[in-house]
Amino acid sequence: MNVTREEAAKALDDIGKASDRVIQLKGYHHGAPYFIIWGLVWLFANCGTYFMPENEKYFWPVGIGIGFVASLIAGALQSRKWPKGATASAAERRFGSRMGMTAGVVMAFIVAIVFIARPESGREVNAMISIVFPFLYMAGGVWAGWRLFAIGFVTAAAIIGGYVWIPEHFELWMGLFGGGSLIAGGIWLRTA
Amino acid sequence: MTMDGPDEIIHQSTRLRIAATLNALPSGDLLEFGKLKSILGATDGNMATHLAALEKAGYIAVEKDFVGKKPRTRVSLTRSGRKAFERHVAYLKDLLEGGG
Repeated sequence: MNVTREEAAKALDDIGKASDRVIQLKGYHHGAPYFIIWGLVWLFANCGTYFMPENEKYFWPVGIGIGFVASLIAGALQSRKWPKGATASAAERRFGSRMGMTAGVVMAFIVAIVFIARPESGREVNAMISIVFPFLYMAGGVWAGWRLFAIGFVTAAAIIGGYVWIPEHFELWMGLFGGGSLIAGGIWLRTA
Repeated sequence: MTMDGPDEIIHQSTRLRIAATLNALPSGDLLEFGKLKSILGATDGNMATHLAALEKAGYIAVEKDFVGKKPRTRVSLTRSGRKAFERHVAYLKDLLEGGG
């Protein structure tokens, strides 16, 4: 059997594309539960704030607390799927710790932005914090895949549209469409 | 650098992409037939033919079971399949770098 240099180059290109596709799908599947979890947190905290404004100060801390615990459990369940001692397991652990550090940087960025901009109303704080994430998804999507970009784009459009056009029902909008788009996005990523 | 020749079973385009896809998974991980077919954009018949060739060579393992009442077929790269794939990739790289 003879293989030409052109055939070898094409074969290596095919191998690279197949590997990239698997890595992309793995990223989608790993990210999916977190989108669903945080979509539920948005739904719970925003709708709770809208329907029971007298308990506004409780919904976000409780929602975020539940979200962090659920995310930790999801991460632990995912890491169990890797066989111990496998090369991919080490890579996965590095990925997990970097994701944790990235989340820390993003949280610090949000605190800094809120500190500098000093939003005056709950609606402004909500919009300012919430808008960071869809743009991160879009930026990540440029590298990781168009589905992630699309989720970010739809969520960002929902936040801006709600902020501008229906300020009096902003929390309800954020809960249903912001949270809903994250939940739907997570389910969509799982089906990839 | 490798002194081995091409692996005639793996080198065929669809089989090469099947092996590359399975090789990108952690060792022992199984991939559903439907998902593999979707990744490669292949037809049922084409996939079945090439999977059978790879299975006959001992390069992949095929597991069939039921989820509820629905039949499920999953495939994984065997240890010898992974080694054969790595040898073939080394051969291709060697050829491109002027060793062939």
